[in-house]
Amino acid sequence: MVGPSLSEGVVRLMELTGSADLATGVVDVQAPGSYALGRESPLVFSSVNGPDSPKRYIHPAEVELSKLVDSGDGIESVSAFHPVGKFAFFGIRPCDLRAVEVMDRTMLTPGFEDRVYSALRNNSIFIVVNCTKAGENCFCVSMGTGPSAESGYDVAITELPEKLLVDIPEKNTPLFQGIELKPATEAELRTGAEMVQRAREQMGMRIAERDPSKRMYAAMDSPAWGKVAERCLACGNCTMVCPTCFCNTIIDRIDLRDESVSRVRVWDSCLSRDFVYSAGGNPRLQKVARYRQFVMHKFAYWPDEFGTYGCVGCGRCITWCPVGIDITETVNGVLKDQRAAEEKMEAHPLA
Amino acid sequence: MPSQTMHTFIRGTVRGIRKETPDTLTLLFDLGEGRTPADFMPGQFNMLYVLGVGEVPISVASFGREKQLMHTVRSVGRVTNLLVALAQGSSIGIRGPFGKGWPLAEAKGKQLLVIAGGLGLPPLRPVIEGAIAEPGSFDGLKVMYGARTPADLIYTYEYQRWREADGCDLLLTVDRGTSDWKGNVGVVTTLFPKAGIDPGRAVAFICGPELMLKFSILELTKMGVPAERIFVSLERNMSCATGTCGHCQLGPLFICRDGPVFSYPRVRGLFPREGV
Repeated sequence: MVGPSLSEGVVRLMELTGSADLATGVVDVQAPGSYALGRESPLVFSSVNGPDSPKRYIHPAEVELSKLVDSGDGIESVSAFHPVGKFAFFGIRPCDLRAVEVMDRTMLTPGFEDRVYSALRNNSIFIVVNCTKAGENCFCVSMGTGPSAESGYDVAITELPEKLLVDIPEKNTPLFQGIELKPATEAELRTGAEMVQRAREQMGMRIAERDPSKRMYAAMDSPAWGKVAERCLACGNCTMVCPTCFCNTIIDRIDLRDESVSRVRVWDSCLSRDFVYSAGGNPRLQKVARYRQFVMHKFAYWPDEFGTYGCVGCGRCITWCPVGIDITETVNGVLKDQRAAEEKMEAHPLA
Repeated sequence: MPSQTMHTFIRGTVRGIRKETPDTLTLLFDLGEGRTPADFMPGQFNMLYVLGVGEVPISVASFGREKQLMHTVRSVGRVTNLLVALAQGSSIGIRGPFGKGWPLAEAKGKQLLVIAGGLGLPPLRPVIEGAIAEPGSFDGLKVMYGARTPADLIYTYEYQRWREADGCDLLLTVDRGTSDWKGNVGVVTTLFPKAGIDPGRAVAFICGPELMLKFSILELTKMGVPAERIFVSLERNMSCATGTCGHCQLGPLFICRDGPVFSYPRVRGLFPREGV
């Protein structure tokens, strides 16, 4: 079982050995480029999100795909990836559940299913906690991914004062064998809905336009990209903490003892300079091109590629950016620029 | 449907080596696992793997009816340096075929323009060989090929056979000539006015450096060849070849899976465009 647990001052998704491992009462206070712990809370599910999402477990940062040797008569595979264990994600947020569904479309494309992801993901269950408080960097309302889970969960919890409202789909009732449950009252259901609604209204961050994909294409040449990219360090933190970023690369690791070769898949980032380097050149040598790729992918390409936005509004890329670049500000900025350019064109078509 | 995944390799044993230019050679492979060159369509590519070093995406250069799988490789990096140093009888791992190839059915009966620059010729070689093997399948074949210098031209040993083939014209050009070069000097588009292109019935298959693609598209369009009859093969950093690593993305397209061959309207707006 994997859930929010306090580690070195940060709430991570860790293996839980018991309820004592849960980050109960821990409150995270987030801002662009900043993560800190605040005053303790009486809630069980008191923190919003940390740098980890289920991605860390179902699309691991490092995984050995196979181990190969030179048999003298060609390449021989001596071992291949096989999944160990099953995951129960306990206490993840609705945006992260949606992020898994987003990643499913990438890694489970019919005919191109990724063996590693498929095995790990299909051995997982998701116990989601609906949000009754918006994080400072959250914008799930704009992305339509929260603050409550609408589908795809195995259990959904809403934490009320002193009690938990638990939504258990019929097929999962066996999970609760031996646990005392009471049917929820109308009043409790109403309170739960009101608390989720409060989180919705509280949310400070937003994408100013609905369904901006087509407009983002039009805004590709906006000078606003360059202004943000000047601050970007191209460190790739945003892509590491992003729950939907899937990019990876395969490296060969040679064991000097027996000369066997491990083919290891590691996370990679479109922000790194050589990500698209090939013999034909490097189309994204400029940092602004790489930063634009990251944002355009989430907000424009993804809908055409996979039929869904690549961003779930979790706010992690804002929190964990060392210089505090705010992706909502970028998207809103380039769209605003584009709007201004279009208005100018309409007013003075020949200018 | 991919016949190969990220995890399994076919054994390729080197049975022939042809020196093309000082830094480029052609390798002929016998295949293991019961595979034959007929499994690899013109325009598709394979990942060639050197154990312990890595993989590179290389176009299929053989025609399906040939006995051996053919790849033409230029030494430009870690893996390709080792590929060009392979000895007869040595073997590598091959994953493939990947991607969508040239739309040969759409070009049937039309005037086929094969336009290549530099190492853009290998993925078009099976198109040329296929057209020659079935005279009458196209209403004329115009091969226009450009390289940097005469010494950079590849497959020179095939030219005479190609020229003598029914309905096939071969036009060559180089960016920089030498004293013994009697042919055309200039970029590949300088061949277009001399090729007898009939815009009304021409279908163009183009592969080469991005700039060469850009200007070829521009010129053909100017001559009146409709965009939907122009096809380009694009190059990106293919790494997994199965659309899950992200390296080869061009906007919403995975070059490895949706391409590498695209009709021009499919990529217009994204290609050629700086920084995409």
